[in-house]
Amino acid sequence: MEDNTIIGKDIPRTDGRVKATGEAIYTDDIKLPGMLHGKLLRSPVAHARIVNIDVRKARALPGVKCIITGADTPKIKFGNWRLFPATQDEFPLAVDRVRFIGDEVAAVAAIDRETAREALELIKVEYEELPAVFDVDSATAKGAPVLHENSPSNISIDRKIQYGDIEKGFAESDYMHEDVFTVHAVSHAYLEPCSSVAQADIDGRITLWTSTQTPYIVQCLLAATLGLRENDVRVIKPYVGGGFGGKMELRPWEFCAAFMARKTGRPVKFTLTREEELACGRRRHAMKLHSKVGFKKDGTLVAKDLKILLDGGAYNSMGPTATFLCGNFGAMLYRYPNYRFFGQHVYTNKPPAGAMRGFGAPQSLFAAETQMNIAAKELGIDPIDIRIKNAMVTGDEIPDVATISSCGFIESLEEVAKMCDWKKKRKNLKNGKGLGVGCYSFISGGVFNWFNTQYPFSSAEIRAFADGTVHLLTMASDIGQGSDTALKQILAEELGLKMADIRLTAADTAMTPQADLGTWGSRVTLMAGNAVIDAARKIKEQLFGAVSAKFNLNVIFDMECRDGRVHAAGKPDRGMSFGDAVAFVQKTNRGEPLVARGSYTPRGKGLVSPAFSFGAQVAEVDVDKETGNVKVNKMWTAHDCGTVLNHMAVEGQLEGSIQMGLGYALSEQFVMDNGRTLNTTFLDYKMPHAMDMPPGESACIETYEPEGPMGAKEAGEGLASPTAPAIAEAVFHATGYRCKDLPITPEKILKGLGKLED
Amino acid sequence: MKHHIRFKVNGDQYDLAVDPWRTLNDLLREDLNLTGTKFGCGTGDCGACTVMLDGKTINSCLTLAVEVDRREVTTVEGLAPSGEELHPIQETFIEKGAIQCGFCTPGMEMSGLFLLNGKKTPTESEIRTALSGNLCRCTGYNKIVDAIAETGKKMKK
Amino acid sequence: MSKIQFEYFAPETIEETVALLQAHGEGCHVMAGGTDLLVKIQHRVTHPKVLVGLGKIKELKRISFSLKSGLTIGAMASLADVAAHPKIKKHFPSVAHAAASTANVQVRNKGTVVGNICNASPSADNIPTLLVLGSRVNIAGPDGETRMPLADFFLGPGISALKPGQFVTSLNVPVPETHTGTAYLSLSQRGQLDCSAVGVAAMVVMDKNKCKDARIAVGACAPIPMRTTAAEKMLIGKPLTHKAIEAAAVRASKETKPITDVRASAAYRWKMVAVLTIRALIEAQKNARKQ
Repeated sequence: MEDNTIIGKDIPRTDGRVKATGEAIYTDDIKLPGMLHGKLLRSPVAHARIVNIDVRKARALPGVKCIITGADTPKIKFGNWRLFPATQDEFPLAVDRVRFIGDEVAAVAAIDRETAREALELIKVEYEELPAVFDVDSATAKGAPVLHENSPSNISIDRKIQYGDIEKGFAESDYMHEDVFTVHAVSHAYLEPCSSVAQADIDGRITLWTSTQTPYIVQCLLAATLGLRENDVRVIKPYVGGGFGGKMELRPWEFCAAFMARKTGRPVKFTLTREEELACGRRRHAMKLHSKVGFKKDGTLVAKDLKILLDGGAYNSMGPTATFLCGNFGAMLYRYPNYRFFGQHVYTNKPPAGAMRGFGAPQSLFAAETQMNIAAKELGIDPIDIRIKNAMVTGDEIPDVATISSCGFIESLEEVAKMCDWKKKRKNLKNGKGLGVGCYSFISGGVFNWFNTQYPFSSAEIRAFADGTVHLLTMASDIGQGSDTALKQILAEELGLKMADIRLTAADTAMTPQADLGTWGSRVTLMAGNAVIDAARKIKEQLFGAVSAKFNLNVIFDMECRDGRVHAAGKPDRGMSFGDAVAFVQKTNRGEPLVARGSYTPRGKGLVSPAFSFGAQVAEVDVDKETGNVKVNKMWTAHDCGTVLNHMAVEGQLEGSIQMGLGYALSEQFVMDNGRTLNTTFLDYKMPHAMDMPPGESACIETYEPEGPMGAKEAGEGLASPTAPAIAEAVFHATGYRCKDLPITPEKILKGLGKLED
Repeated sequence: MKHHIRFKVNGDQYDLAVDPWRTLNDLLREDLNLTGTKFGCGTGDCGACTVMLDGKTINSCLTLAVEVDRREVTTVEGLAPSGEELHPIQETFIEKGAIQCGFCTPGMEMSGLFLLNGKKTPTESEIRTALSGNLCRCTGYNKIVDAIAETGKKMKK
Repeated sequence: MSKIQFEYFAPETIEETVALLQAHGEGCHVMAGGTDLLVKIQHRVTHPKVLVGLGKIKELKRISFSLKSGLTIGAMASLADVAAHPKIKKHFPSVAHAAASTANVQVRNKGTVVGNICNASPSADNIPTLLVLGSRVNIAGPDGETRMPLADFFLGPGISALKPGQFVTSLNVPVPETHTGTAYLSLSQRGQLDCSAVGVAAMVVMDKNKCKDARIAVGACAPIPMRTTAAEKMLIGKPLTHKAIEAAAVRASKETKPITDVRASAAYRWKMVAVLTIRALIEAQKNARKQ
């Protein structure tokens, strides 16, 4: 794509300036006249029936303007799986029952935060405690306490994927290995705590500014829970300080802000504390994975049987999707001729797990990649060679689930091996040093319409102006990943304009075209990008017609938009400036502005995703065998993300993924005691610092994804997966300790080496 | 009882009566509308609230407003010499891709600048150590470290 | 639990401070850097009625050194000042090192060494080193100035030996004799600069190959930062062979009483006291030879 002027270049993000100067407005920066401050009363017990709530004392506190409990609300349940209403299991405020420590019970709005906080202490709630369960085994045991009456087994949903003949596959295998893996919950730990401000207008309609990844989902579910019509709710996404999957649902404080704004006639703001975020916030699913694989002697994969129990916490949240995706990811990367997956989503009395970067892949692939490393060792085959032998290639299929339309996996493996001098290094590293590999495949947006949207998955509107500029309107949500910049790049390239010629309005449900499902599953570049191209092509069609007529061009001529001009292909003089062309079209249409709508909805692309990315990562570690401390010396990554739209942005995603993967592998975890989170500060929730980050090298294997905008696909989310298995293998290589139970703590290593008793 | 405090923020003099329990962070964000300084954790671990007090970086969430009486505060809003011109560290953060969600950015810039004010050519390890009080969840820090090193070179010129 | 509300005073002299502490009695807290205290207040762990900020007492910022009276660190000398002080780096490298490894840049710019001590946190990074160096705290109070060995200062987690009306004005570290080496090592699950799950400081005074004096102090492994005196005795007067060091380390580990918490298990801490003690003693011995 050497012809490109903007795609593939290191374009600095367009919101860089306002973020560098501190001018960028995040939700908590918003202050409205008369605004009240909200606080949530949360359950101190893991499972209980609410016998009585007495708010009289709190209401009497001067400065308190509004107090609500579940009883005051319309009591309408919500959940992202709107397609299956039975899965919608959450009330905005608890109705009669609390199911985890932190479950929202009441809300206060007062003239300032301190008064609201004081009022919480004056609310008296009488609980009748119920027996609680805190792990998947006890929750699924016979006679276990039940969290939701419509799921008497505590299994809220199960998902199956099956193809080939699993029994025959194992019968034909020369070598089999069966393991149980457990992986833990971790926090998104986005730097910006959740915040929402709601304002009611004269008709009782709601405007909600909120730190969200999914304005459209929030709009729909907020309207539903308030008993309003969708068009009565306007959701605006200000700048968002990271999400990573943690801000993609309707949240109780969004409901409470809106409900109390209507009740009081004053704007209401809620901002969570970091302690609330860590103690009660969404998190990545902890899981128990039972996996059995069969190989031929030569390392050819024959069969895999995967059973997963997802620890979902108290509500479904995005768990149903994670359940299915675990099965999909379990079948990715390699050709499994015979495959069976059974996943069950289990309720426990803990904060609900939701979507988080990777969404089922980090867990499923930790098991798959570790098992691959075990098999390589036991079959005496090099871990990279055994992967290349079984690697997926372009055109491969997971029957009824997915088709791989572009795949640079083998190239990624070969490249990463070259970059780190794999064979030599792997043989020569000694004295507590080790080298390990882990791989990933990931989706570029989801196909399955669990939200049951009635609109296109992504939409874009382009308004063209005679001054040579355009206005792009889209509901796509930049939460820091840089999609605003990417979409502008795509549009600038398509219309031959400069970045500065594009004005962007994004993520305001009342102003931007219906609709966009939001930022999750690495869908924005591909889906919103395709919508932008669709709209741009409609604009071009009109411009081409007008210019062609004006210059009396032969109908067989190709036309192009380039360098701010519209002209016959390769003949810049046979045409006019972009602005003049717009003016001309507008004149032709007697003043009608030149506007076009575009959209994208994946069709005929299986159940999972329109496109899949691939990659391989190698970690070198240094293990202190006396203390069990692991230092990651270096990471090498080679990945296929299709056409690279912006190298700097892709690299930023990669490096951010490594930080998160490093924490997932080594230092981050929730320390829980009977449903209570004990580490609720960043002092004890240990995400890696700048000093912990290893140096790295990376390479992009460029493929062309036919379904992607300009050949692009996912970059950055899938990379959340390979780091943990790569580090785990490197630790094994260094010490002989094989981790099947994340995170890899110093204590586990010492126990594994027999140097510390249980 | 409210305390009368007199202090400078970004060169502007303020005379205010404040409750003694209010933090500098609260004062900057709520009363002075300087919302570039963020609030991320309240325990001095994330650094999103970092400002300079008499030229030294501190956590504004762990500083009482009354403590800044007769002292000088610099926030991210005080870095750029004008609305059109940026401070080199801001310029370089943009150019080098050191910004993603941007929530840690003001604090990162403050910490970077504090280091560079003492030493224009710090080693990579010195830069990383200087960021020990600033968390970032998006960038993996590497581009921030690069940007700070590059800023030092620019400032030396 | 209730609204955070307190009165604030910023006295300019030590006498005024004592008078304020006496006048307000219980519920009156002294604040140095405030980096720990304000977290405790926000988390409703501490409920002060009155805060006395020491920021306006100029003499408390002072760091002074002489060969005769040793090192004196004022209550308001920041961790950053201590970490960067040329005399401290030269004569008390492990004191500078411990200050430099406490928390992070912002906290070190505001927090103080004396404040870190007065919190009496079992895991405070500065304390083990100061303990092995035989430090003393200078205390001002209604009955005038008193001096107390640091070893006697800690009564329990968060509890110091200060009496009503008293506060620590400075810390004194005597000049160690020649051929003294010290070292402080700590462990946490993340990086080098983090709240420690285990910390061990060691000091040895060498007379050729013989150990003339030895001190070992352990942090985060008992209700208070503690000296492991039995282990020390095993080394004094003997050559510092690896075998002797190992035996002392095992002994030191037995003297501690760690608990399991969010940062580590008791079993791991026990084990690590031994590992770190060996390493700290070897490093201290090396440092002693440098002199």
